[in-house]
Amino acid sequence: MAPPKPDRRKFLKLATSAVGGGLGLIVVAPALRLLGEAAGSTTVKTPIDPIDVGAVERFPVDTPIKVTIVAAEVTDAWTSARDVVLGAAWVRRTGDKSFEVFSAVCPHLGCGVDFDGKQFACPCHDSKFALAGAAQPGAVAKRGLDSLEHDVTADGRLRITWARFALDTEEKRPA
Amino acid sequence: MINAFLRTLGWALVFLLVVEAITGTALSAFYAPSATDAWASVAYVQDRATWGWLVRGIHFHAASVIIVISGLHLLQVVLAGTYRKPRHQAWWVGLGLLGIIIAIAITGFVLRWDQAGFWANKVEVGIAGGTPIIGDTVRELALGGNDQGNLTVTRFHMLHVVALPALAAILTVLHVRFARKVGEPRDAAQPLRDLVAMAIAMAAVLTLVVSQHGVDLGPPADPAQAYDARPLWFIRWLFELRHLAGSAEKLAALAAPAVVGGILAALPIVDRSGTPEGRARRWPYVGAATGLFAVIAALTVVSIARDANNDARNKAMAAVDKQAAHARDLASRYGVPATGPLDVYATPPMWRARTIYATRCRDCHDAASDKRKGPIIAPGHGGRAWLEAFLKDPNGATFYGKTKLAKTDNAMKPVELPASEMTDLVEALYAESGAPDVDVAKRDRGRAIFEKACTDCHALGEGVAGTSAPGLGGLGSRDYYTHYIGNPKSAIHMGADSEMPRFDKELTIVERDAMAGYLVWLRSATNSQLDALGPL
Ligand code: FES
Repeated sequence: MAPPKPDRRKFLKLATSAVGGGLGLIVVAPALRLLGEAAGSTTVKTPIDPIDVGAVERFPVDTPIKVTIVAAEVTDAWTSARDVVLGAAWVRRTGDKSFEVFSAVCPHLGCGVDFDGKQFACPCHDSKFALAGAAQPGAVAKRGLDSLEHDVTADGRLRITWARFALDTEEKRPA
Repeated sequence: MINAFLRTLGWALVFLLVVEAITGTALSAFYAPSATDAWASVAYVQDRATWGWLVRGIHFHAASVIIVISGLHLLQVVLAGTYRKPRHQAWWVGLGLLGIIIAIAITGFVLRWDQAGFWANKVEVGIAGGTPIIGDTVRELALGGNDQGNLTVTRFHMLHVVALPALAAILTVLHVRFARKVGEPRDAAQPLRDLVAMAIAMAAVLTLVVSQHGVDLGPPADPAQAYDARPLWFIRWLFELRHLAGSAEKLAALAAPAVVGGILAALPIVDRSGTPEGRARRWPYVGAATGLFAVIAALTVVSIARDANNDARNKAMAAVDKQAAHARDLASRYGVPATGPLDVYATPPMWRARTIYATRCRDCHDAASDKRKGPIIAPGHGGRAWLEAFLKDPNGATFYGKTKLAKTDNAMKPVELPASEMTDLVEALYAESGAPDVDVAKRDRGRAIFEKACTDCHALGEGVAGTSAPGLGGLGSRDYYTHYIGNPKSAIHMGADSEMPRFDKELTIVERDAMAGYLVWLRSATNSQLDALGPL
């Protein structure tokens, strides 16, 4: 067989890469699209309504009390679960019906913040926060504790609207 | 000789990678990649499957040994200068392989979905999410969505067992091929040397496995519970670096691996000292590379030592260990509920009621409480013997003796009856509970006695209050208790005389019913049965 003419060789090369590339694309593209689905999709859905955390009397004035935030229903991709613990909040009663509520999620990298009797302290990287939530000097956290929206119902129950915020940023913005 | 030793380390590595593949395959037959099942399946392997702890231990510790030997291997190559042409390709592939191996270890850590893995993952993904511009996308791709959940587990599972091992296998083959391309004289003793090295490596793995009884498994992941997350030991230096970097920590955590990798990768390019014999001119490179190692090692040691000396942390970790042991004990005994690993804490028998008892009832009703105000609640409560003792001495110390009521004229008078009539009356009251073992003849005689002796104050009809004392219809039944706990002050029960608070607001009907079920159980229970329920 005579060697193919230059034209023919060019064509063969082009055709091979076209067919091969196309085949590859057909296989790879759907897989990548499937994996890329994650970006921007809300796979874990938690309720946004206020969550009841108990009667007002439950909270002593001025001493922070940790409450767990329990969602009636959470869906996580293909499962749904009832009474799911979403996280925790520190509730400080400042008056008869006034409260200060902080998410117990550390604004640094998300560990659970403890209260050491005087101030809030994160065990992970030692950030300290004042009673009113401000980050103490020397804290690696870039902002103070995140306050959570809350209200007191007519029959005297405290409700908290749970939210998560972007970690490790100076301003508090929803995650 | 240097070459022979190098090769030996290399083969020990290949051997351990095969060990990982084999143990990993076995473990994957047990692992359930979902947020609800992951911890449970790992706990099952660890605590219940035959030799599961051993296989899991080998799988975990072999990774550590692989990383140690890789470090030695790397150092060896640097010292010998064999990263230079013509082995530069083997060097680069080797570096890539080490990167992949570290990635496999990191992605494996989260799969157990315990507190340690979960929170370490949160921090790592948080750091990756701090990458400029593409950070958010990277985070979402890693998490499989907007938050840690099922798709996080499945994704890391895919990386750990399919994608990264496949890459590692390809790179291993390439690495070995590139390294061998440069011919070296065959030594008849080499195969034996290699085998001995493999045996030593395996001995190291087994020593770690046995000394730590496999590998730990913490309490199940709980987003609501504080956990002092630490990365695996071989990226500990990054953790420490972040700590030192203060506000620049994110940059440090992202940039440091790139810098280290970059320096190592650049060695064959910048080091132009030619053949392996040009040793004298190579010391700056050797110095830089070993210096890098020394810094990494020092950071690791400092970080681990600081934790070891942190009493607060040690105490917190001891508490975590205790919780882990409890959770795993429950998982072995009762299984993990399909609703998720955190529900394992609620699996002890009558957990809900006993928890309520411990928090709401104990102070006033437990024999061991020094604040007791009401009758003692203990096994046998409401049974025949208890009823008889109560009737004979209602204001005795174990009954209403500590109440205010006992000191008033309203207090119930002791019942004085001949022994046989007493047992009949007891049977009549006992029958109200709906217990199956009632002597009907006795009960009927007892009811007649009740009519004569008790109806001045009490009543026995269903839902009927007594004239001046509690109605006793349904006494000791589940419905009775549910209602009583809800409002002991209601007219049908103790009325205003009761010092016991209402629980119909504080406890849900489900909780009161659970409590009632527990009281019914207590009636025929013994102390040893109560103990056998185990800790909460
Ligand atoms: S997560 Fe709280 S200080 Fe880092």
